[in-house]
Amino acid sequence: MANTTETMNTVAPKVEPEVLSSPTPRQILLTKILGHKGLMFGAIVLLTIFLMALFAPLLAPYDPYHQDLMHRMIPPVWDAKGSWENILGTDHLGRDYLSRLLYGARISLAIGAIAALISGIIGTSMGVAAGYFGGRVDACVTFLINVRLAMPVVLVALAVVALFGGSLQVVITVLGLLLWDRFAVVMRSATLQLRSMEYVTAAKAIGCSTKRILFSEIMPNIANSLIVIVTLEMAHAILLEAALSFLGLGVQPPTPSWGLMVSEGKQMLLFQPWMIAIPGVALFILVLAINLLGDGLRDVSAPENRN
Amino acid sequence: MKQILKGAGIFALAMAAAGTAAANKADDTLNVAFSKELENVDSYYNSAREGVILQRSIWDGLVYRDPYTGEYQGNLATDWQWVDDKTLEFNLRQGVTFHNGEPFDADDVVATVNWVADEKNGVKTQRNVNWMESAEKIDQFKVRIHLKAPFPAAIEYLAGPVSIYPNEYYAEAGPTGMGLNPVGTGPYKVVSVEPGKHFVLEKYENYHKDSPKGQANIGRLDIRTIPDFNTQAAELFSGGLDWIWQVPPDQAESLTAMGGFTVANESTMRIGYLQFDAAGRSGEDNPFTKKLVRQAISHAIDREAIVQSMLQGKSRVVNSACFPSQFGCEQDVKTYDYDPEKAKQLLAEAGYPNGLEIDFYAYRDRSYAEAMLGFLEAVGIKSNFKLLQYSALRELNMKGEVPMSFQTWGSYSINDVSAIVSQYFKLGSLDSAQDKQVKEWLDVADSSVDSEERKEYYSKALKKIAEEAYWLPLFSYNSNYVFSQDLEYAPTTDAIPRFFQMSWK
Repeated sequence: MANTTETMNTVAPKVEPEVLSSPTPRQILLTKILGHKGLMFGAIVLLTIFLMALFAPLLAPYDPYHQDLMHRMIPPVWDAKGSWENILGTDHLGRDYLSRLLYGARISLAIGAIAALISGIIGTSMGVAAGYFGGRVDACVTFLINVRLAMPVVLVALAVVALFGGSLQVVITVLGLLLWDRFAVVMRSATLQLRSMEYVTAAKAIGCSTKRILFSEIMPNIANSLIVIVTLEMAHAILLEAALSFLGLGVQPPTPSWGLMVSEGKQMLLFQPWMIAIPGVALFILVLAINLLGDGLRDVSAPENRN
Repeated sequence: MKQILKGAGIFALAMAAAGTAAANKADDTLNVAFSKELENVDSYYNSAREGVILQRSIWDGLVYRDPYTGEYQGNLATDWQWVDDKTLEFNLRQGVTFHNGEPFDADDVVATVNWVADEKNGVKTQRNVNWMESAEKIDQFKVRIHLKAPFPAAIEYLAGPVSIYPNEYYAEAGPTGMGLNPVGTGPYKVVSVEPGKHFVLEKYENYHKDSPKGQANIGRLDIRTIPDFNTQAAELFSGGLDWIWQVPPDQAESLTAMGGFTVANESTMRIGYLQFDAAGRSGEDNPFTKKLVRQAISHAIDREAIVQSMLQGKSRVVNSACFPSQFGCEQDVKTYDYDPEKAKQLLAEAGYPNGLEIDFYAYRDRSYAEAMLGFLEAVGIKSNFKLLQYSALRELNMKGEVPMSFQTWGSYSINDVSAIVSQYFKLGSLDSAQDKQVKEWLDVADSSVDSEERKEYYSKALKKIAEEAYWLPLFSYNSNYVFSQDLEYAPTTDAIPRFFQMSWK
């Protein structure tokens, strides 16, 4: 971020040179963040879900794995037959739905974060290398990106999971290894633009090492778009995990996963619609929050909006 | 409930408004849904329950077993007798014609039996036909069927899966042609077939008058494949369907509460069981080779609770590796009651005081399997759950790579214990126990014509299976039938809906 602040320093005084007490760039950014409703909403919701997942053992009223066949499919509290004992009711094995939802948030967040991290590392290093070095490296990376884009993600994920069996580790690895394409594409074009900037040329001229240029000149300037893609891919990974679990090929029971909960509730769609609605709404909110956050970050950090 | 009713009502209205043509009592058409695709209607070339259902309506066997009384009656044969241990002689019914007008006589029986008994022709379920050696024509209405070995359950099989095909037509059409354009002597004839999707059947007006099946009542059957229960229910509400079955217990309960339809429950011959790799085919050090581990698991699962709260209806816990009504199904075997403490103790004795981790395979009824996972976890057995397609699991099982799995078997509705125990415990590739002594006993029982001797040897085998806990028999299944209140129908325990026994009120 150091670099961004520097750039801003040179820009900000130009706008209102007369005002002495003009806000610092940091303050401007903060005001913009706080004033961006979507961003704030997304951030607050995501933080809440994160905290709930983190403190699930403290918050959950019951053990999410404890089954009680005598108390199956109790409706949630707002239904006439519901009770405060199980606020969101119980599932088809009599497990507390709220507890499973809370623990399920851990799975979704973990998968989203780790898969986005793995694919981020792969995609960014490939994209930056391609953009900066160009030539053969670029041709090679472009080819890999094309190969990757030609593969239908869900189909490949299904095949791999079917082959190695569904487990949390397998799903995370598969998604991490599959979702790097957007990172690579965006990072490549961003680096391509930056490569010909004056400060990069200047750095080259004073004899900076490639490593220094990449990490001190290029990386800080592509960080903004990187964050946006991270959020997008995180949401993507969470949805894919839910889809795989729904098909029975993702996270395996009895692990609580929102996708799995939707799949378990599918049969009861007609008579116990809340069984599918609750995890569905949870997924919707999480993905919406992440996307709003990503969108907001882009708005706030995009250069044309800096003033 | 009120809310749900309202929701369902709105849904039904919307569906009706969308213009679903509701055909039913008024135009004498029964609309039926199957949940699984039936790939080939030729009953010898599919192993699906849907195939059995169509088979009973389209074709006839030599013999018919009344599903309510269990009595054998002549159908295409008028009477029969054992000439010796290995020869059955039939007098055939005269004046029967196939749907295409071909008259029925001894040639049809001989051609059918000789075709299906020949292993080269690849009948899907060999056990249904491979006990027959050949058939021989004595005169135009008299045939003899020669058996490979004495086979006391012959009449049961002849009343079940062995249906008689028209020789001239079958020679020309073969299994594929028969599947697309089936021709039989049964109470219903086929109007159109879209494989896997849609079957239309019509009452066969020239059905032979003296058939024990009786004449069909409903003029037309329209059968569609609708895999999802929720879609089936929506069509039922809108009048697009009149009859559905295999309705999950929870939904059947809700439908009963809703009213407006007849909900009938009947047990089926299908039982669920856990199969353990006692022979150690999936690995020498496999915990399931230890009898104590198998017994511990048997004590760990509360089968009664699963039956009461999940399967409901007429399901029962079974302790012997067969369905109780089957001939020879010994009930006096070692039972394993629900006792988690004992399970833990047995595990400790077997050398697993801190529990163990296992691979648990299943192919259907994920919720039952999950309930079992929960019970196992409670005694310290952690399972890696693997849900596969039936065919994939069967293949793995044949290779002996499955340490423990949740299986079910419906015995093809054959009311004889040979259809299940002899299928799985005679050292075949699906035999996870590989117990030579059990096989010897079963060999004696399978080929004896003395019913007391058969009983005695099946009993020995079943007792040993329970004592060794090669399987943990879990429960018998039931099926829920939901149908229009205009329809008169009583389900049977063999889980074969017979359309010719249904009528409008």
